[in-house]
Amino acid sequence: MQLSIEGVSKAFPGVQALDKVSFELRPGEIQALMGENGAGKSTLIKIITGLYRPDDGRVMIDGQEMSFQSPRDAIAAGIGAVHQERNLIPRFSVGENILLERLPTRNGLLDKDAIHNEARRYLDLLDRGIDTHTEVRSLSVAQMQIVEIAKALSLETKCLLMDEPTASITEHETEALFTLLKRLRDEGASIVFVSHKLEEVFAIADRVTVLRDGKNAALGEPMSTMTRQNLISLMVGREEHIVNKPQRSVDTGVVLEARGLQTSFGHRDISFSLKRGEILGLYGLVGAGRSELARAIVGAAPITGGEVLVNGKTADIRNVHQALNQFRIGYISEDRKNEGLILTHTIRENIAVTIWRRLAGALGLIRPSAELDAVMPYVERLEIRTPSVEQKVGNLSGGNQQKVSVAKWLAANVEILIIDEPTVGIDIKTKAYLHELIHEIAAGGTSVLLISSDMPEMVALADRILVMHDMRLVGEVANDRRYETVSNAIMNRIHAVEEERSTATAG
Amino acid sequence: MADVPVNFFHRQSHMTDETISTERSRRGFFAGASAQIGLFAIVALLWVIFSTLAPGFTSPINLFGIGRSLAVDIVIGFSQMVVLATGGMNLAVGSIGVCAVMLTGFLLQDAGMPIPVALAGGLLLGGALGWLNGFAIVKTGVNAFIITLASASLFLGAMLILSKAVPYNTLPPEVGQFGRMRIWGYVSPLLFIAIAIGAALYVLYRHTLLGRQILAAGANPRAAEMSGVPVGRVIIISHTLSGLLAATAGIMLVARLGAAMPSVGGEDWLLPSFLGPVLGGTLLAGGSVAVIGTMIGAALVTTIRSGLLVLQVGNFWLQLFLGLILLAAVMADRYRGVFLERRSLGRK
Ligand SMILES: Nc1ncnc2c1ncn2[C@@H]1O[C@H](COP(=O)(O)OP(=O)(O)OP(=O)(O)O)[C@@H](O)[C@H]1O
Ligand SMILES: [Mg+2]
Repeated sequence: MQLSIEGVSKAFPGVQALDKVSFELRPGEIQALMGENGAGKSTLIKIITGLYRPDDGRVMIDGQEMSFQSPRDAIAAGIGAVHQERNLIPRFSVGENILLERLPTRNGLLDKDAIHNEARRYLDLLDRGIDTHTEVRSLSVAQMQIVEIAKALSLETKCLLMDEPTASITEHETEALFTLLKRLRDEGASIVFVSHKLEEVFAIADRVTVLRDGKNAALGEPMSTMTRQNLISLMVGREEHIVNKPQRSVDTGVVLEARGLQTSFGHRDISFSLKRGEILGLYGLVGAGRSELARAIVGAAPITGGEVLVNGKTADIRNVHQALNQFRIGYISEDRKNEGLILTHTIRENIAVTIWRRLAGALGLIRPSAELDAVMPYVERLEIRTPSVEQKVGNLSGGNQQKVSVAKWLAANVEILIIDEPTVGIDIKTKAYLHELIHEIAAGGTSVLLISSDMPEMVALADRILVMHDMRLVGEVANDRRYETVSNAIMNRIHAVEEERSTATAG
Repeated sequence: MADVPVNFFHRQSHMTDETISTERSRRGFFAGASAQIGLFAIVALLWVIFSTLAPGFTSPINLFGIGRSLAVDIVIGFSQMVVLATGGMNLAVGSIGVCAVMLTGFLLQDAGMPIPVALAGGLLLGGALGWLNGFAIVKTGVNAFIITLASASLFLGAMLILSKAVPYNTLPPEVGQFGRMRIWGYVSPLLFIAIAIGAALYVLYRHTLLGRQILAAGANPRAAEMSGVPVGRVIIISHTLSGLLAATAGIMLVARLGAAMPSVGGEDWLLPSFLGPVLGGTLLAGGSVAVIGTMIGAALVTTIRSGLLVLQVGNFWLQLFLGLILLAAVMADRYRGVFLERRSLGRK
């Protein structure tokens, strides 16, 4: 299928999201669509699939002008999409979600076996570990992402638009996805791939289109002629610079300690300690149980055994309110849509929610100016792109929403901060700012427990790295800041554990 | 690449300086206000119609009557609004109101308590019953609809058994005198109470910790909880406040009637309690309130009721009209939602 977009424009109140953008996609190619947060990538994809109507310009398929009224029309015309926001039904099973649009029936009733067999076929292409019978709401964010991709694959369309499909999955699953995408391309499919991870784009894309401030900065350039520097300057219009990390010294005082923790998720015997001003990494594959552990620590999930100590004293933390106000512990959730943000409220309210208590004076009154003063520095430093801080968070681009979800916990100024996948969907420039900020708060004495599936991020930030596998801690790796050695050490550890287990069950 | 993150030191932040402004979004403000201006225009239109059809409509005595009913309707609307804010509802507002009425009557007439004590007793009961609702909702996790449906019947039943449904008719004369008091010839002091409560609620939701937490919990309880908002506590407080406001409305009725009657409140309050807030633009989904809107919404209800009364149209018609208006309001609410969605999706 030949898809071409000519001079498409789209404005939202206060924002020109797209300004005469062109784009062209050929059969049998994978084309990367790149640009900073808020550059207009998702908007372009939504215009192609009929979710948005362009103010101006044309969408052509095989030389014919098209105007889809809904994603359904687009699918009928052979265009499938994985959108940046997840659109799964939490209480439906994985299988039902994958085949939602056309559930198989027999004699007028849903055919459960057919649903699960059919769904299994697509899911197996990516991940054999997800059961098609589980309810989607009990999956991790990464697993949901995989289900979302399987759902798009199941449409078997000739054209596939993927808006940050790899944002919240690990390298392992990304590899499986890439193998699959390459096969589809070789079979003649046309694929659009959005990602902020340059390595991925270099690994898979044939050509690249870059958007900057809603305009074309590059149009279908072959990747073979691109360098990393080229691409970055096309996106940001400036050169890449090297971050200066502030000097930090990790204190010897332990602020957070877990002793033999058990949870209802199945964690066993979790023990570790976090020192003042330390950045402790927690790495694991999808399903290892890292986020669940974090939730248990902040009191959002029950602990069934063992204990947590804060500053040497046993802490019985029952909810996040208590974690924040009594123990000064914060948790940046990886699930920004459901747990991190109130999409219908403003940026100001979303960031300030963690500090309202601190800002409240006599009679619980909050001065609006004090609130703004507390919020603005983060909006500026993370370059949250918006016409105003009174904008509803739901109207921001995905990456900008992520910035808000991180900013609100940075503003909380806690002593212990658990950060779960902070840079998912964030562009490379802001990612650098954010890394700088994390170094900064650690230098200021905050202790950080960093959960990240982004190995380069782990290597850039963590002082040491705990390895988690299947609800247990299986090792610790010192970070010598060299990607290869650290990454190999971690993966070796995980493979060793898996091997031990399989020989144990075999014998 | 790994160990060398990138950074850009020259923050020629053209983007930051231009795109972020600290002023409130004017568009949002007017969009919200325009709905209320529309509502206000409807009320004004009805006044013109009613006063042309029935000149008695604007007589000082009728104006005084309207003001008195309006005060009660406003407070009833508030009692619903404060739980709508949390994304819940309170079907027991009328039952709580009448329980407070009868307790106040009992304390004044049979127990011979001084007026302030009796009033405090009535208010306290209202708050306590509201607290019970909130507590049950939070502890059981059952939704507000079911809990308050049950408690509405429970509270009303208990009140009727205890009071044997006998009204208290011989209250201290000051009570009735307050109800008949007129300021500047035709304004009831009850109206000032309602307005003062409105002002307090406005400040609560706009400028206080608690109000912000209530709205956050109403908009997305899970995200609020994960941000350190004590969601359970906030819901209980909102229901307590609802009970307190229902009791206030009840006691205002005692002053207006000069007696405590078991027939006030109950299910009669249900429709007006939703009409005020919903007409005024409070979202049923929770997370936002319209205090001034609720007052104008209540004014619409009162105006129609009084107008039909003056025109001597029967009570059956009133029910019919109010039902129709609620439907229209809910449809307008849906339409507004769809319209906003369309606009943000860029559909015309
Ligand atoms: N529904 C909306 N209402 C108002 N503004 C919107 C809406 N959707 C997008 N925008 C704005 O349009 C611009 C482009 O957004 P878009 O989502 O396309 O960015 P993006 O390139 O996908 O960014 P990201 O990398 O963060 O996902 C942003 O400034 C965003 O705030
Ligand atoms: Mg996007």
